[in-house]
Amino acid sequence: MESFVSTGLIGVSLGVQYALLALGFTLIFGILGVVNFSHGGFYVLGGYVAYASVHYLGAPYPLAVVLAVLASGILGYLFELFLLERVVEDHLSTLMLTLGLFLVMSTGILVTFGPESPQFTFPVTGTWRYGNYYLPKENLIVLSVCVVTIGAVYLLMYKTDFGRALRALADDRRVAAAQGIRPRLLFPLAFALATALAGLTGALVTPILCLAPHLADPVLATSFLIVILGGLGSVGGATLAAFIVGMVEAYSSVYLGGSKGALALFVFVLIMLVIRPSGLFGQEVHGA
Amino acid sequence: MATASTSVTAGKAQHEGELHVDAIGKQFGGLKVFDQVSFKLLPGDILGVVGPNGAGKTTLINIISGLLFPTHGRITLGGHDITRTVFHGRSRMGVIRSFQQTSTFRPATVRENIARAIRFSHGSEMPPRGMDALMKRFELSDRLDEQSDKLPYGLQKMLGLVLAYVTSPKVLLLDEPAAGLEIRERGRVDDFVHHVREELGCGMLIVEHDMDLIRRLCPQIMVLDSGRILAEGPPADVLARPEVIAAYMGAAEEVAEQC
Amino acid sequence: MTDRFRSFVRFCGAAELTSIGILVLAFGIPLLSSSPFLVSLVTQILIAIPAAFSVYVMLRMDLMTFAVPAFMAMGAYSAAIVGLRAGITDTIVLTALSFAVPALVALPLGALVLRLRGVYFVLVTFLLSQITQLLLFETPKLTGGSNGLAGMPATTLFGVALEDNRAVLFLAIALALLAAAITMVLTRYYRQHFAAIKENQILAESLGLVVWHYKMLGFAVAAGLAGIAGFSLVNMLLTAHPSSFSAMSSVDYIAYTIVGGAGSMFGPIVGSALLVTANNMFSNRGEYSPGFFGLLIIIVVLAMKDGIVGTAIKLAQRYRGRSRRIVLTPTQIPLQPAAAAEQTPVADQTVER
Repeated sequence: MESFVSTGLIGVSLGVQYALLALGFTLIFGILGVVNFSHGGFYVLGGYVAYASVHYLGAPYPLAVVLAVLASGILGYLFELFLLERVVEDHLSTLMLTLGLFLVMSTGILVTFGPESPQFTFPVTGTWRYGNYYLPKENLIVLSVCVVTIGAVYLLMYKTDFGRALRALADDRRVAAAQGIRPRLLFPLAFALATALAGLTGALVTPILCLAPHLADPVLATSFLIVILGGLGSVGGATLAAFIVGMVEAYSSVYLGGSKGALALFVFVLIMLVIRPSGLFGQEVHGA
Repeated sequence: MATASTSVTAGKAQHEGELHVDAIGKQFGGLKVFDQVSFKLLPGDILGVVGPNGAGKTTLINIISGLLFPTHGRITLGGHDITRTVFHGRSRMGVIRSFQQTSTFRPATVRENIARAIRFSHGSEMPPRGMDALMKRFELSDRLDEQSDKLPYGLQKMLGLVLAYVTSPKVLLLDEPAAGLEIRERGRVDDFVHHVREELGCGMLIVEHDMDLIRRLCPQIMVLDSGRILAEGPPADVLARPEVIAAYMGAAEEVAEQC
Repeated sequence: MTDRFRSFVRFCGAAELTSIGILVLAFGIPLLSSSPFLVSLVTQILIAIPAAFSVYVMLRMDLMTFAVPAFMAMGAYSAAIVGLRAGITDTIVLTALSFAVPALVALPLGALVLRLRGVYFVLVTFLLSQITQLLLFETPKLTGGSNGLAGMPATTLFGVALEDNRAVLFLAIALALLAAAITMVLTRYYRQHFAAIKENQILAESLGLVVWHYKMLGFAVAAGLAGIAGFSLVNMLLTAHPSSFSAMSSVDYIAYTIVGGAGSMFGPIVGSALLVTANNMFSNRGEYSPGFFGLLIIIVVLAMKDGIVGTAIKLAQRYRGRSRRIVLTPTQIPLQPAAAAEQTPVADQTVER
């Protein structure tokens, strides 16, 4: 029983991590209509920037995380401003551009750091125990940071002018522009927010799990999965879906082994995408 | 796919171009967008459909053409029940619609557009009768090799109408054919409607905002308001009725309030 | 005689015939050089070509597919399983199988998936590839799991084993030619249908086109083409392994097509040749090649939307000063005799949009 609950706790902490990861992805899709193929790349970038800050600059871990967030955010901002803005109306072209960015980023990371997984560990070790239930302390800390961040993003999106403007842009870019909201100013910021979130997740999670250049692919696939399940563009949906995926992954890896859990999940999401393309809570799907 | 079942009025042979719309309704969740709309459209009829914005005029065309399925009611064509027939199935049966925005195969030439319309609708290579006169009238005959999206807006809309014509429709649904046309171009819509009546003789349903056009072309009109039929009859009569005027004024008031 | 020939040429299209011509010429490569490096490189290009055609066929319907690795795997493993387990090695049988299996699987998949378009279609096909690769790992009894299926017997043609590099090259050429022929017939015969679906699907439906039929056809043929590529691949490697069919590898095939130019059948050939060669140039520094691909994709999307072939054609037209745009070959409308005299003769096309 304890193991069941403990696995559940792991599932929850995974869920929160995935929620943070998926948040950026779903924001970009909701606001810009862009499927960001480089999302996994920013996750890995965040991890490596944090690692490099700790190991080469001697920075304390919290500062390393901040640097990772800044690096991801700035890179995302510049990319959107100079490249994506040119084609942002054409969704397939934007998709291809993010793909191109991803390939360039992966190669950059691979070339700079090498293919081997570096030693990047979380500075806090030990396990938190409550009676017979346990959770590694690192998971607990990361969980808290994720929850706080997700809360902050919600506040940003729903309680500030910036967030309102972004949501208006998501609904209809032209109408919003006519009302004085400047897409060219806001889109790069929105993209930067999303990539910064991915970088943050990477900086937090890679010391716990694993840091390696090839992680970007499975991270991307998981993000796709979560965001499709929850509904492309729906923040609440993505959060819920993240928990579902986290739980499924935790329980299936403990009780089933192998990637059967992942397989079942993929198939389930595929079926869902076909029956209900808008996911659990997503926007209405209108073809291309 | 097209389902063919004999109509309730079997015994009374229906012309294959007769469209019967029986008490159709459309609900989105709890919201009734459409309720108890019934009418008949016989070959040669020209029925105008008017009403304030949001009255459901485009929904009507969407339902009859098959882009939307009604939640209640029946639609039959020539006695066959087509209520659940898919969009392309209905097109193949001869229920053809035009589009409010310009709708052509944009990078293709005028000639290619027409060729495709012929091929997709009845597979043969022959255009229907009256084609050349129509093309000449719309000044498209000497623009056959131009790309359709390089044509002026008015001609693009006309090409859209021509494409619908080319399919030899049994029922023609025109969705705001004059929208976006300058006043002096609107006469072309008249030409089109007359041409269809003379050469094809099919029933026509015209959704429009241009009241003069409706008065000129439609012997019968139907006023929709909030998804219901408010009034039916000849335009001169119907448009003078107080409840119709009130509906339009009411809509105007709503707009005024929002400003 | 020349009239029939001319109308045949016009039906096929100049780009198509050029493509087929180049592929036929490839048979002459062993005469020019016996360098094993060249033979291997050309073989790799020829393996990529049917996969690039798969992407091309889908793009003609305005659908960007990330499912090529999934269907390649189906073709590859069909051939491998049948070769290893049932001892069937006849080339013709294996080719037919590697086309048919993915094509048949594509039918029910298409029924589910083809109602989606744009980015949703991208995501679904990406997931399909992901699922397929996972399935390959998780069904070791059938597919050998993470070990794959090694030691495939060499394919045979009329009893003769095609074992040496030259034979593998010839088979790769033949498979690429088959793929080219299939692509040509499909895209030329249904040119109007696919173009209509791509340009204005709802208009096409409103005129009576049963769009989903053609989408299913295109999807199934594209799957079969990818299957042929898969067979060609395992024929060269004599091994079927899941790592050859990752979801991300779909990006490669898409890159070959859009960098070469998705406007004509010649584009995927040019793209495959260029990018596979570039990849090989990076053989010592293989880790750079994804970055290079990425840069190319960015450049093409921003500056050369028509790809290399398309951009070259546009430049050539401008240079020759003709005002003739790139336009689909129109079908003649038999107008009345008086009007017919006014018609300009149907212009020959060099490349289609």
